[in-house]
Amino acid sequence: MAALEKFQYDNKIVRNFAFATIIWGVVGMLVGLWVALLMVFPQWNVTTGNGTVGFTFGRLRPLHTNAVIFAFVGNGIFMGYYYSIQRLLKARMASDMLSKIHFWGWQLIIVAAAITLPLGMTTGKEYAELEWPIDIAITIIWVVFGWNMFATILKRRERHLYVAIWFYIATFVTVAVLHLVNSFEFPVSFFHSYSWYAGVQDALVQWWYGHNAVAFFLTTPYLGLMYYYMPKAANRPVFSYKLSIIHFWSLIFLYIWAGPHHLLYTSLPNWAQSLGIVFSFMLIFPSWGGMINGLLTLRGAWDKVREDVILKFMVVAVTAYGMATFEGPMLSLKTVNAISHFTDWTIAHVHVGGLGWNGMLTFGILYWLIPRIFKTELFSKRLANFHFWIATLGIIFYAVPMYWAGFQQASMWKQFTDSGQLKYQFIETVTYMKPFYAIRSFGGFLFVTGAIVMLYNLFMTVAKGKLVANEDAEAPALEKSVSHHTGEHWHRKVERKPILFLIATLIVILIGGIIELVPTFLIKSNVPTISSVKPYTPLELQGRDIYRREGCFTCHSQMVRPFRSETERYGEYSKAGEFVYDHPFQWGSKRTGPDLAREGTLNLKKTDSWHFNHMDDPQAISPGTIMPAYSFMLDRELDTASTPAKIKAMRTMGVPYAEGYEYIANKDLVNQAAKIQGNLLNDSIRVKPNAEVLAIIAYLQRLGTDTEKNKIAENKN
Amino acid sequence: MFKFVKQYAESIDGVNIYPMISLLIFFLFFVVLLYYVKKMDKNKVKEISRIPLDDNEQLSGTLIQNNLKQV
Repeated sequence: MAALEKFQYDNKIVRNFAFATIIWGVVGMLVGLWVALLMVFPQWNVTTGNGTVGFTFGRLRPLHTNAVIFAFVGNGIFMGYYYSIQRLLKARMASDMLSKIHFWGWQLIIVAAAITLPLGMTTGKEYAELEWPIDIAITIIWVVFGWNMFATILKRRERHLYVAIWFYIATFVTVAVLHLVNSFEFPVSFFHSYSWYAGVQDALVQWWYGHNAVAFFLTTPYLGLMYYYMPKAANRPVFSYKLSIIHFWSLIFLYIWAGPHHLLYTSLPNWAQSLGIVFSFMLIFPSWGGMINGLLTLRGAWDKVREDVILKFMVVAVTAYGMATFEGPMLSLKTVNAISHFTDWTIAHVHVGGLGWNGMLTFGILYWLIPRIFKTELFSKRLANFHFWIATLGIIFYAVPMYWAGFQQASMWKQFTDSGQLKYQFIETVTYMKPFYAIRSFGGFLFVTGAIVMLYNLFMTVAKGKLVANEDAEAPALEKSVSHHTGEHWHRKVERKPILFLIATLIVILIGGIIELVPTFLIKSNVPTISSVKPYTPLELQGRDIYRREGCFTCHSQMVRPFRSETERYGEYSKAGEFVYDHPFQWGSKRTGPDLAREGTLNLKKTDSWHFNHMDDPQAISPGTIMPAYSFMLDRELDTASTPAKIKAMRTMGVPYAEGYEYIANKDLVNQAAKIQGNLLNDSIRVKPNAEVLAIIAYLQRLGTDTEKNKIAENKN
Repeated sequence: MFKFVKQYAESIDGVNIYPMISLLIFFLFFVVLLYYVKKMDKNKVKEISRIPLDDNEQLSGTLIQNNLKQV
């Protein structure tokens, strides 16, 4: 045996990420509470600087999701990761400098998100809203994180890579692939870009990314943490290490295919939907294998759960993981999805995962970790217990009303009277939801209160302790040459060779990605585009950018599914060919307000002055609505200087604007605006010729009209 | 209902085979995985699974354990 080597673990980086996850966690949850309240008190949606800074639902909701996913959970991952990987490898991180760059870079990215999102700078793609310069920064920081990880793995003193590390490696590899593929965008200015993909393809790539952000950012790294901290907290090894191997490989193989379940009944090709369903359903097996493995780790230690608050947090976390991963496959079944999709059911589902699994596990790890690295005791066990109960209650108060609301919403959308008419106006389904939104906010309030109590408790703990910045450790060095006996197990070989492991992981996740994405891209050359579908006019294009800036897609879908209840309410179901010029697609995932895919068609069409007044004061036009007012658009001037660059960008991406059209586009824009201005004047409404409201009206009036032209022509024949 | 979708999904040659290929790949992958996991050396597995517990916690480990018992 080699001589013992002395070295030190870096606890400073662990502390930094721990503080970051606590602070950003509280911030992200407060923003969540705020957006929840906006759905009860729509008058609290405010903007300043003539709409420059917006604290409206559409701009703050992405801030909430980004803050909790990438700031709270992200920093939580790195906190748990830096502590555990050093100890699992018996080595200090390869480079303190890279650790530092990782930490500060990640915080800067978060700050950039917190600034740009309220300014309305968004790509319009859920969970990937950050604009291209930030995307590049994310790529660089991610490489720093991965580089440091592999450099540490290579200088390790423990031959075997423990299962937690496989999960870290899979996280690194897959998030890199997802981020690169989904962020393919065409910059038009420093903080504005268009997704390179359009329509159906954009939707598929986006939800391939979106679902796997859940898989490889909210799940795999947390499973890695579970496999380290559960055994630590329970002081016994994981229930079955063999099960963890099966869990790992089948989970990462299956997850990557599941994305299309976000697009059931949409215009996505049917075969892709079917693939998504099959693999989503199979996911239940590895997920539950993992959950059972986690819970059974406590075998013979259940008496400790009663006394140990850390184990309580972890048990609720793993149970929530089990519930969410049971519900997920169920929601992927078409019959269930027909009810749940676009409703608050989905919101309940993600919060069981977010608050329960990610939140509770992070809290458990924090209570375990902070006293350890500060070499002290927890300030107050009673407060920690209080946190546990109030957080658990918070989850219940959040989830139960949202499940109820979602189910009610769907049933109200779908009901017909005996005479065959839709039973409810859309607005009735909105007003019905309000009490549920209020109770949900209360649940969120309880949960964030718990987090603030934790902040205080941990602050006091830190105050009475002292950070062991460099913790002494010793372990024998790895022997360089090992004689392998023949017939050695293949997996152990792979475990010893991290690079091989990385490649194997990459191959496993690429199989699903390639089989799903490639045919959809081949389709492009095969799609018989609908001849009546034309590119947007310059004014409509500008209007569409305003639609995206304000995050209208966070509440309005643009996707009529092939159900009688939807075609009756909105008109003809949506076809893939209608979206070929939509960079990015704006199908949305939630229908707090009505679908807008056919907003401009004859049976839904409103007058220009209706839209004008509705933007100014939605409550006056549609009593009971929770839509924010956008009165600043009535006055704010449209940025026409950007038109040529936007047209040019669109043409580069294949939208058939004529060569040189960018030079005369603004002339068309002015003419179309003047026409709407004239319509408004007929109703005695005076507006500047370049007010933003004209562009958004033009866009809304255009929606769905392309295919209607076809129909009108058919009828004439 | 899905006439429109079918119309161009069908224009990819043999699109129907995709779901079957996918399922087959996973099935084979899973069977091979199961086989090898089954064949793993039990003692070695036991040893690996103890890696997280095998570190020198000369910090306040006992202190915290006592502390937690009272929670």
